[in-house]
Amino acid sequence: MKRLLPVVGLGLCASLSASAFAQQNATIRWMTGNTAQSVQFANEVAQRYMDANPHTIGGEEYNVTVEIIQGPESATDRYALYLQFFQAQSGEADVLEIDVIWPGDLAEHLVDLYEYEGAREAAEEHFPAIIENNTVDGRLVGMPAFTDAGLLYYRSDLLEEYGFDGPPETWAELEEMARTIMEGERADNPDFTGFVWQGEAYEGLTCNALEWIASFGGGTIVSQEGQIEVFNDQAIAALETAAGWVGTISPQAVTGFQEEDARRIFTAGNAVFMRNWPYAYSLLIDAEGPVTTENVGVTTLPAGEEGGTPAATLGGWQMGVSRYSSNIDVAVDFALFATSYEEQLQRALVVNNLPTIEAIYEDERLLNSPVAWFADLLPVFQSAVARPSTPTAPRYNEVSRAFFTAVHGVLMGTTDAETALGELEFTLEELTGLPVAGGAQDVASR
Amino acid sequence: MAQTQGQPVKVIRQRKEGTSALARAEERTALWLLAPTFLTLLVLAIYPLGQVFVQSFTDARFATAGHETSFVGFSNYRNLLSMTIRELPPRIDEETGQPIVQDGVTQFESPFRILPREPVRYGAVGQFGFGGRRYVLGATSPDFIRAIWDTLVVTVIGVSLQTILGMVIALTVATKFLGRGVMRAAMLVPWAIITVVSARIWEWMLEPDRKGLFNTVFSYLGLSDGFTNWTGNPSLQLPSLIAMEVWKTTPFMALLLLAGLSTISGELYEAAEIDGANKVRQFFSITLPLLMPTLAVALVFRTLDTLRIFDAFQVIFGEGRLSMASFAYFQLIGARNVGLSSAASVIIFFLLFGFAFLYIRILRVDTE
Repeated sequence: MKRLLPVVGLGLCASLSASAFAQQNATIRWMTGNTAQSVQFANEVAQRYMDANPHTIGGEEYNVTVEIIQGPESATDRYALYLQFFQAQSGEADVLEIDVIWPGDLAEHLVDLYEYEGAREAAEEHFPAIIENNTVDGRLVGMPAFTDAGLLYYRSDLLEEYGFDGPPETWAELEEMARTIMEGERADNPDFTGFVWQGEAYEGLTCNALEWIASFGGGTIVSQEGQIEVFNDQAIAALETAAGWVGTISPQAVTGFQEEDARRIFTAGNAVFMRNWPYAYSLLIDAEGPVTTENVGVTTLPAGEEGGTPAATLGGWQMGVSRYSSNIDVAVDFALFATSYEEQLQRALVVNNLPTIEAIYEDERLLNSPVAWFADLLPVFQSAVARPSTPTAPRYNEVSRAFFTAVHGVLMGTTDAETALGELEFTLEELTGLPVAGGAQDVASR
Repeated sequence: MAQTQGQPVKVIRQRKEGTSALARAEERTALWLLAPTFLTLLVLAIYPLGQVFVQSFTDARFATAGHETSFVGFSNYRNLLSMTIRELPPRIDEETGQPIVQDGVTQFESPFRILPREPVRYGAVGQFGFGGRRYVLGATSPDFIRAIWDTLVVTVIGVSLQTILGMVIALTVATKFLGRGVMRAAMLVPWAIITVVSARIWEWMLEPDRKGLFNTVFSYLGLSDGFTNWTGNPSLQLPSLIAMEVWKTTPFMALLLLAGLSTISGELYEAAEIDGANKVRQFFSITLPLLMPTLAVALVFRTLDTLRIFDAFQVIFGEGRLSMASFAYFQLIGARNVGLSSAASVIIFFLLFGFAFLYIRILRVDTE
């Protein structure tokens, strides 16, 4: 009761002042993930926004309460839930977290942020590639909250021990280093392997394979202009190279790995190289195991050939506002707040998510933190390769499934790369109705 | 379903011949008493089912506001079920004009060059050889055909194993031995665990490296290198799943059979003993025939349950391998294709119906 009194008092004051200054009370609901870390951070963000009450939004004063709804952690499940909300045109959640591959798919249910005050100015601070990804038919449907890109983790101590003077620049170099070190380490540790990545038939394999193909100069499956470009010699070479790793420098079982499978092997000290997202680094910071930030380096993934361009697949999340929300003005204001400079910096420091605002990478507070290395890899995040989700919307899910199924078949050795990609090209043609790059006669001649 | 609904009708009709006023009044009361049940059934079961039927003839899309739904007739069914068989010609070497032979094996053309593309595209489901020639089975929805096949394989092999093992366990537990009560309780544990949980447990046990139980044990025994990819290798996927299904549902089978066994009178065995029948003869002449009705019910339960398997596939394979039900799910959520997903559900419905009908006919469940 004692604790209630001040709350009641505050409530009375709030309602009195509300009537006095025509303040409006508004409640918006924000759907987040459900891991302890993400919920705790979301609560902090919401609290900071509420502490800044009242807000002046569109010329009116609001007293906003932000409620957090814990949604499913898995992206696929979250997507399914959103679709159910949208099908029912329900305003259950006002602010939604949107995966980088969803803007095209969900655009019709999301508010065009450009129509609201402050959004256009805010958008200019973020990486242009992500803003472009989030812009569907000229409508900005999501404000970037954080970004992600595929990275190469390597054991600097082992590279040094075996006489290599730096991380590999091409896949061939990686193969050679992995083989040498693996052969040496196997003597004491039969579980030791060279290179771990994500080879299971799921969205993660689409990300990995896109990196191989793009780094070999084989395009991005479907170009951003909407041309199917997956069936080409470089793409075939890329898949053949990757299939060659299975059972040699990578364990046979890599075709069943997701992010955490690879990460556990790497942190247990059983691999030289790992392809993973930046989140894996935060788990090394306080680690006491054989592998810590002391003996791990992070760099760009290798290029297809000498002098080639390495590629990293773009990941990350945006904040969008549901069209069915009953408080769109307030929800947009909150989305802008949660993706602002200060909030992204906090996100980087607290949960090690990468900012999408370039200026943060020069901020002293970031440079003096354990994730100062973010700044070194700024070019990677800026030039990350987007999955073809916007040009193939709303069928990206099917496109990706067709792609990773084809790639998985090649990795398992059930089909050869040429057949798999040739077949995939027809499948994509039928799924999307998009033209094949180079025209039909080019295909017929193959 | 068909059988349980059919029976009361038959009973009522029999009674009607030479009925008294009282009996008719009772019948009317019975109908009134049944009315709420029928109404509930109508709202909860028949209406949604009807909706699925109707939707299966449309091109409805999920959560797509700007889309006008229109009727498309049977095209969803055609898309799901169209199949074709084509012969694969051998690959010809352009220089010599002879078929290419590698390591003594004739090389055949890739299916995607042979299968028809107009008016709809066929994808390869699988290849088979026959009389020295090579054929490819193509389908407009290779995923769905594969899903049907996989589900049937899991059902037939899984349910057979469950029945045999369940019978062995039931017969064992039916005999009197020390600790029988504990044994009977313990055997139900796998059945009591929620499928999603047990699927996750199995997923961990099947981990593709030495974190997984199976890999640890197998490498310890020197049977593998400890890196067997149980859930990723296409030829190991179904066996892994079947092992899990059998582990989980054998107790249910055993429990039902045990109940059936307890209804068989011991006198029959005594009589058989006196007539000099050995245990094997006793099993086939007394136990099995008398257990038949129970066995039929258990088989119907397990078969229909396995045919609409979803959770185990979903947890262990995700989109990597589909059952019929998870195909319908991914068509709805991943592809937002309400029409196609509904058509797939209707096909599943008829398959279940067919199996139930077959069982009732073959095992004569309806004889009194």
